[in-house]
Amino acid sequence: MKRRHFLKKAALGTMAGVTAPYILPAGRLFAATGARVANHVVFVLFAGGIRQQESVDQQYLANQGLPTQGNIMLNMLEGAAPSSNLLFNLWSPIGGQSPLSQQGTLFKEVRYSEGPTGHFNGHTVAMTGRYTETGLNLNVNPTWPTIFEYYRKHSDPAKSAINAWWISEGLGPYPSLNYSSNPSYGPQYGANYLRPASILGDAGQSQFSNAVSYQPDDVSRINKVKALLDKNFMRDADDLPGIQNTAENREAIKNFKLDILNSVSTNQLEVATPNSDYNLLTGDLINVSAAWQVLDRFAPELTVINTTNLDICHDNFTLYLDFLHRADYGIGWLWNKIQSHPILANDTIMICMPEHGRNLASNNLTDQNGLGAYDHTSDENSRRLFTMIVGPSDKVQQNQTLGTPGNPAAESIDVIPTIAHILGFHDDIPAGFLPGRVLEEAFV
Amino acid sequence: MQVSKIRIKSKKMKTRFLLPLLVLLSMAACKTETEVIKEPSVNAYIYDVDAEDLYQSNAEKNKQKSAEQYISILYANLFQSTVPQGDLADLGEIRKAIGDKQMADELILNAFVNDGSVSIPSNAEMRADIEAFVQETYLRFFLREPTAYEIFELKAEIEEDPDLTPELIYQAFALSNEYKFY
Repeated sequence: MKRRHFLKKAALGTMAGVTAPYILPAGRLFAATGARVANHVVFVLFAGGIRQQESVDQQYLANQGLPTQGNIMLNMLEGAAPSSNLLFNLWSPIGGQSPLSQQGTLFKEVRYSEGPTGHFNGHTVAMTGRYTETGLNLNVNPTWPTIFEYYRKHSDPAKSAINAWWISEGLGPYPSLNYSSNPSYGPQYGANYLRPASILGDAGQSQFSNAVSYQPDDVSRINKVKALLDKNFMRDADDLPGIQNTAENREAIKNFKLDILNSVSTNQLEVATPNSDYNLLTGDLINVSAAWQVLDRFAPELTVINTTNLDICHDNFTLYLDFLHRADYGIGWLWNKIQSHPILANDTIMICMPEHGRNLASNNLTDQNGLGAYDHTSDENSRRLFTMIVGPSDKVQQNQTLGTPGNPAAESIDVIPTIAHILGFHDDIPAGFLPGRVLEEAFV
Repeated sequence: MQVSKIRIKSKKMKTRFLLPLLVLLSMAACKTETEVIKEPSVNAYIYDVDAEDLYQSNAEKNKQKSAEQYISILYANLFQSTVPQGDLADLGEIRKAIGDKQMADELILNAFVNDGSVSIPSNAEMRADIEAFVQETYLRFFLREPTAYEIFELKAEIEEDPDLTPELIYQAFALSNEYKFY
């Protein structure tokens, strides 16, 4: 039976059999080792390299020799949009919610203190809470444990991988960030990794179009025959690299992937664009849209996603602004969705932070509008970031802004201990592993 | 060399397992006791193989296939052709895009097995001669004859469960530990 036909017939049974077990948030059933601030964290690496000037400083084109200033991150920041010289179609912010900066604490000035301001470095720093000096985008797992490993190892009771997700916009070295090579941690504590653009895009559509969602009885039949065969063979093929889910969770995630693949092929998947218009999608918004599907289905306790399209700023400032505007919409959309979810609403804290900034001075390239482009080569401006912590008013300080250029309020390595604090396992992490601090001033 | 030595029942069945055999043999780390057949035509593959090209027992398999070997051989096993470069690139991308590689392989296998162009006996054909099906499936996937006990076990499973289809059995073979070794 072909997948699409099958899904129509079996959707209800599958939903009942597979989805229901994951509706229950594990954090609510069991007490963690420490008190939790909230049971769910979504960490958005609002990445690609974003300058303070065009983001929190809302200077728009002021640094390009044009007088127009204004806020192009209407979902995340308070402030009026530019009134002239609009270089892209302005999307109305998500209705019914105030800017996210008012729904939490904005660390307006945060410092990326050490190491090269490269994308993979920035991601590694943000996800391990350790600065790294390596300047290469090597596709190797980080040396220091990732937040996923701390979470899974030190939560009590232990958490399965279905509770931890790393969802990236691109491939390259990013798949290797779901666990570290640290001998005390490693893949057994890693996160599920997913790059939606590959699964939902041409590669996935081409290769998975015939796959079917099997009923549990058929999965049992496969496993029963496999066990029979394995019984007669002395070796165990258990050295596949990377994380492994439990058999039950693996089936649930496989069915999830086939479900969203099917919903894409039938244009049923709701996406993070105005009116769910597929023509307005960017890679970032595909990632955000798919991340929401993961959150909606599994309500994981720890989810890390990224956006990266803004890196087009290396040669096209106009598109950088456009993608910044769209990525902001995606984050507003995601937060709005979270507030509509029966488990995640009022029990989720979202943290947004660029992986690094960009240079103060433009390079020699100009785009179609004559606007100068910017690289990120570890100058002081590229070490300037912001961090936003958004959450329910009984958990997160609302409408608070901290930090100035001369007095940064935090460092990029502070997010990981802060997540550990939120999920209640910070005190269980061995001394010396995390040099950053918990951003306690963000919490009630 | 005599085809009858390996009890191949039909040309169709022969092609099911002989091509993957050649793919496997052409990989860098070939078994030393096997012989690579270099004739380019498929017919040559069919008729120039003898019992020595099969494993005498599963104990001879002691090296785990790489991810690339696994996917390539699986494709060849099921589709009777080498995997097209475009598909191989797609599959590599998909495998990289999923952190749980076991899951990725299972999804790929699922899609392969349910592709209409894969040659799989129908449930009725399997049940018309279960013993032959078991024997052919062992040859196809494991490149060896099943033992009498293995025939007995799998035959009993099939007879007991009318909903155990060839598609499900093929997936079990492809996911088994033995299939991941050579």
